[in-house]
Amino acid sequence: MDSITLRLPHTVERPAEATNYEPTTRISQPTVTGTSVVAFKYKDGIMMATDCLASYGSMARFRDETRMTAVGKTTLLGMSGDTADFQHMKHTLNNLLTQEYDMDDGQNLGTRSIYKYISNIMYGRRTKIDPLWNSYVIGGIDNGEKVLGFVDYYGTTYQSPTIATGFGAHLAQPILRKYVEGHEDEITEEDAIRILDDCMRVLYYRDCRTFNKLRRAKVTAAGVEISEPYALETNWNIAEYVRGYGPF
Amino acid sequence: MDFVGFQQELAHAPATERHTHNRWEPYVDNGGTSLAIAGADYVIVASDARQSNGYNINSRYDPKAFRLSNDAILATAGYAADAKRLVEVLEQNAQMYYHKHDRVMKASAMAQMLSNTLYGRRFFPYYVFPILAGLDNEGKGALYCYDPVGNMERVVYRSFGSASALVQPFLDSVVGFKNQRGVDPTRLLERDQALKIAVDAFTGATERDIHTGDWLDIFIVDRNGVTHEKRELKHD
Amino acid sequence: MFLTRSEYDRGVNTFSPEGRLFQVEYAIEAIKLGTTALGIRTNEGVILAVEKRVTSSLLVADSIEKILEIDTHVACAMSGHTADSRTMIEHARVEAQNHTFTYEEPIPVESVTQAVCDLALRFGEGADGQDSTMSRPFGVALLIAGVDERGPQLYHTDPSGTFWRYEAKAIGAGSEGAQTELQEQYHRDITLNEAEILALKVLKQVMEEKLSNTNVQLAKVTKEGGYHIYTEDELQAVISQM
Repeated sequence: MDSITLRLPHTVERPAEATNYEPTTRISQPTVTGTSVVAFKYKDGIMMATDCLASYGSMARFRDETRMTAVGKTTLLGMSGDTADFQHMKHTLNNLLTQEYDMDDGQNLGTRSIYKYISNIMYGRRTKIDPLWNSYVIGGIDNGEKVLGFVDYYGTTYQSPTIATGFGAHLAQPILRKYVEGHEDEITEEDAIRILDDCMRVLYYRDCRTFNKLRRAKVTAAGVEISEPYALETNWNIAEYVRGYGPF
Repeated sequence: MDFVGFQQELAHAPATERHTHNRWEPYVDNGGTSLAIAGADYVIVASDARQSNGYNINSRYDPKAFRLSNDAILATAGYAADAKRLVEVLEQNAQMYYHKHDRVMKASAMAQMLSNTLYGRRFFPYYVFPILAGLDNEGKGALYCYDPVGNMERVVYRSFGSASALVQPFLDSVVGFKNQRGVDPTRLLERDQALKIAVDAFTGATERDIHTGDWLDIFIVDRNGVTHEKRELKHD
Repeated sequence: MFLTRSEYDRGVNTFSPEGRLFQVEYAIEAIKLGTTALGIRTNEGVILAVEKRVTSSLLVADSIEKILEIDTHVACAMSGHTADSRTMIEHARVEAQNHTFTYEEPIPVESVTQAVCDLALRFGEGADGQDSTMSRPFGVALLIAGVDERGPQLYHTDPSGTFWRYEAKAIGAGSEGAQTELQEQYHRDITLNEAEILALKVLKQVMEEKLSNTNVQLAKVTKEGGYHIYTEDELQAVISQM
């Protein structure tokens, strides 16, 4: 009688020629990812936008993801990078907020505190060489002051009136700096929305990992507000005149 | 292959494949320049505030010089996240020292502690080039500069960071009076001269180094304490 | 004092209903059985003096050491169960060297004293996360003398882990008489030389044996010279001034 031997994957011998054993690391590659976050300060607080796409490589895998979340009452968190790591971060922050809620001491975690907390997690993970594959933008109002900060998987942090991650750092940041820098306290909500949509439109035109379904969020003295998904008006008429990128 | 065979083969694999291949680099260079000049009874520290990552400017104002106490300033350059953590560690230690010994830590004590702190991470260094500025026990300007693993040297002037290759030779000439005849190379500068040189150094560095610019933080330490001023540099 | 002694002196960490820790009080009592030691602070430096009880003519007097160096600028004299002091002095020396290593500066005298006192209550079962070094309180009191940027200082520590700063202090069997004498003789402008003589005079009064250059120890800590223990010749020179 013929017999078949089935072996479990982990008991299969490595081929003798496979000599390049790599060190055990906890580094993974990002799998399902979100692209840019765009955010800036305006008259009433912070304005931020992300699209609703989570890509699997070049595949537009999940098309109704939300890459922004409120953290407490006056803080907004935007994410680019690995969505699983973002979920982990949201989980961790939820634990933190639950602890704070259970204290029941009337204290509210301010934006600066949450920013510091997230930064410490990110720097701590990079120091363990086990980074969370994200860039985060944290915006909010703390003690009546607008706060807008960034942290990435190196634990690098900075605050600035305008912040854009990923492709946004190249395409949106120049637009934001032109319109916002020096005018953070003057820009009205309508102007802010116009600037934000302009940035997102440019990103939609040029960044292949974007999607014309996005959310806008703001933090004002009244709290955090994340919009329902909406689409931008686009114009592809000039596309056929674009030359020099392909064989034609 | 059994476990022992696997171990043996691993041991014989080339070191490069075992250790360096596929390794995520936990460091970034965030650019920026720091400079310090010591005088007879003062010390001046200047750092630009631009934080960059490659060709991107992250922030136009992200300070990298920090006031650690009433007579000690720490200027940094290199990897911003490590620099900020290092400053937190030093501040915490200084605070613990204050509680334990009921006195403010002197710059000289801070200098030795910083060296130990850096060396403590000899095998996973803080990628930071610090300059510690303060006054010594005689009230003279004191500068201590370090490499990332804690090698310490007391100097009269020093520049670290992305434009240090431009600034240091300039300081060698106008502060150290190097390669010049008829001058006393040990002469210390007056405060206003030092300030002018610091500002000029950064104006020049901003022109030639893309990672330096935006704003300049200037700290002056003397027997009366610390003064800070912020000057504008070119934003391009 | 201990007429009301009850079961509350069994556990080293058990308070009596009156709020007393008997074992600590007994330890303080043990010091009163020790040889007399005293310290005098002056503006030039601090003097430490101890009586050595040379109980036999066959005993090598040099082998009795009751004044020890902690660092070049700090010294200590002891009374009580002197063997207990080994642990404390070792701790103080390590603490002093650690400080110098970390900050490249001498440790403040008060910090040395505090470090020693931190040890004093680490007896019994040991709290969570820290191990106790002793099963009972230390039975020794110290006089810690040193000079730092705050000038010459003298501290007295006891088995309860409390410390006080003194201008002049005597501990041990003859401490009561010695302290009274110090109180009468001490004045703020006392010179180091006057303090040397006063120290020996006070010791002489409370010693059973005749004071000589072999049954006392004298040491000074000054800003210029740091810790210095007197040789027999130097001691003799002071004795001859008495």
